[in-house]
Amino acid sequence: MSIDNPEIMETPTGEAVAEAPSLTEVLPELPTVMDEQDLIIETRNLSKRYGRLQAISNLNLQVPRGAIYGFVGPNGAGKTSTMRILTTLMKPSGGEAYISGYSVVTAPREVRRSIGYMPDFFGVYEDMKVWEYLDFFAACYEIPEAQRPGLINDLLELVDLAHRRDDMVDKLSRGMKQRLCLARTLAHDPQVLILDEPASGLDPRARIEIRELLIELAKMGKTIFFSSHILADVNEICTHIGIIEAGQMVAQGPIKTMRQQLMPHRVLVITLLGRLDEAKEALLHVEGILGIVDLPPEDGKIRIKVEFTGEDLRMSEMLQALTSKGIPVVNFAEESSDLEAVFMKATKGIVS
Amino acid sequence: METPANRSRISLNPLRPLLRNPVALKELRGRMRGPRAFVVLTCYLIVVGGFTTLLYIAGTAATYNTTGEVDGGTLGRVLFGSVVAIELFLVTFITPAFTAGSISGEHESQTYDLLRTTLLPERQLVFGKLFSALAYVFLLLLAAIPLQSIAFLFGGVDVEEIVISLLVLLATAIFLGNIGVYYSAMTHRTLRANIMTYVTILAVILVTTAGAVIALAIVEGLDPSTSSSGSEWVLLVARGIFVCLNPLTTLLSTQQYLVNQQTLFTFKYTFTDGTTTTLPSPWIAFTIFYLLLSVAVFFATTRHLKRIEG
Repeated sequence: MSIDNPEIMETPTGEAVAEAPSLTEVLPELPTVMDEQDLIIETRNLSKRYGRLQAISNLNLQVPRGAIYGFVGPNGAGKTSTMRILTTLMKPSGGEAYISGYSVVTAPREVRRSIGYMPDFFGVYEDMKVWEYLDFFAACYEIPEAQRPGLINDLLELVDLAHRRDDMVDKLSRGMKQRLCLARTLAHDPQVLILDEPASGLDPRARIEIRELLIELAKMGKTIFFSSHILADVNEICTHIGIIEAGQMVAQGPIKTMRQQLMPHRVLVITLLGRLDEAKEALLHVEGILGIVDLPPEDGKIRIKVEFTGEDLRMSEMLQALTSKGIPVVNFAEESSDLEAVFMKATKGIVS
Repeated sequence: METPANRSRISLNPLRPLLRNPVALKELRGRMRGPRAFVVLTCYLIVVGGFTTLLYIAGTAATYNTTGEVDGGTLGRVLFGSVVAIELFLVTFITPAFTAGSISGEHESQTYDLLRTTLLPERQLVFGKLFSALAYVFLLLLAAIPLQSIAFLFGGVDVEEIVISLLVLLATAIFLGNIGVYYSAMTHRTLRANIMTYVTILAVILVTTAGAVIALAIVEGLDPSTSSSGSEWVLLVARGIFVCLNPLTTLLSTQQYLVNQQTLFTFKYTFTDGTTTTLPSPWIAFTIFYLLLSVAVFFATTRHLKRIEG
């Protein structure tokens, strides 16, 4: 897959996606979650308190099997604390957390067997070769010595590092280290991957490579639970999102439902060569229009933003209303309600 | 070239089961890679060998007996004792340096959390770290055996003495290694773990040496006419404890009993009232005590690591 200008991917407006369609083309292939009730990660009233600071309060996380779940929230919202509890590194102050049906408190070994965890730092031994690094962790996961060489080759193949097998780990680039870490989390073939900020600190190309890898892993049947504060990442690959703020879940569910619930109206951007007032007049006769806003002109062309509710038929009616009057429309496109808007609406900026 | 395929072949190496411990394997690979391991070994042998040469020169000058010949037995014992003392000194400094960074280093390289989310048992982590560090210390000790054996050329030293000195040195290294790993597990900073380890070792050395000297002074100052054998017993045991807690005094008194009484495992003590009793030689008490203490420290470390951040 070639992406000439990956930066465009960071601003998923209608136009940008049209110019770099590669990732959105991948999206329809995403696995569909079969059963929303089959939860592989579940917390019930999970709480964590550090002294007086309430890091997490009554968090009810629900991640269905097979989902790519984006756990979004501002820094300090409690994302890492939640992940540390789920990965058995920290005890909750209250509530329960289950992975594959095992309690993180009472059955940590079973939980560790079912998860692959990647923290928000690399965690690599600098004085090791790439294959030794994977061999070490495979051994830590009790994989028999005879199976390890084949497994290591498969993992390196998957993350596209086979050619660096005998290199020292500290010679790898950040993106390669991150991929190596991802390979490590897969050593014991876990059902769930828990990834803390997998794309942070990476350059745009490396970030896209990680994203592709996550989609690949989801197709292999893994449930992926990852945190991020980069909404573009979440927007493009997630099937589910959970928005956390100040230790509380403010919204959670399949991404489509979330968009509809939080952004019930749709937005259309129309570019004209002229006759603005006539265009507004024509549009006002179409049913379901909530408002029309002038946008700053681009290359001398007039742009307006139309907010409306309803089906695609409304858009067709709007286009007809404009063209029947001979108004020079040069661009007519729906702006996908991006997650940023959903996020802003959901969080109300309590923390940030 | 080593490939994963031929590594998995059945091996006759008796250490093979130990290398099943992933931590031990990883640490040994890392430790023996590059020039560092060989540089440390070479420097160690230069220091021990240099001192031995100096002592030989000084010793031949100082041990002429009345007939004008070199007293081989004395020179042999002086050389042997000195090599062991230097080894003891180096082991005391090197072992903590190898172990105090073992667990805290995992925190510093941000790999500790990764290890904790694997299925690796805490005891394997501690054992692997300890084994790999001690394996290298053992290598240093074994490498110096030829230098110890120079004493054989002059006589005055038996093979048993070399074995006992090696046992005491090994027990010392095992204990110090455990202390190093313990502090390394207790703190997340290698520097702090190093300081705490060295302070503890210094305290043990100072307290035991001072205690042994004081107890000895009191015993020698006893007046046979006024002292009871009961109070002498108390002093004897007190001195014994201090002597047996310190590797240097343990080795010195063991050798003293060996030379004077020709016994390896026991020695006779004569009370001021003329009665005698037989006691185990200090090296036995030393080795058993420190090995047991090492096991206790090992379990304390493992227990600490098992705790989940609350």
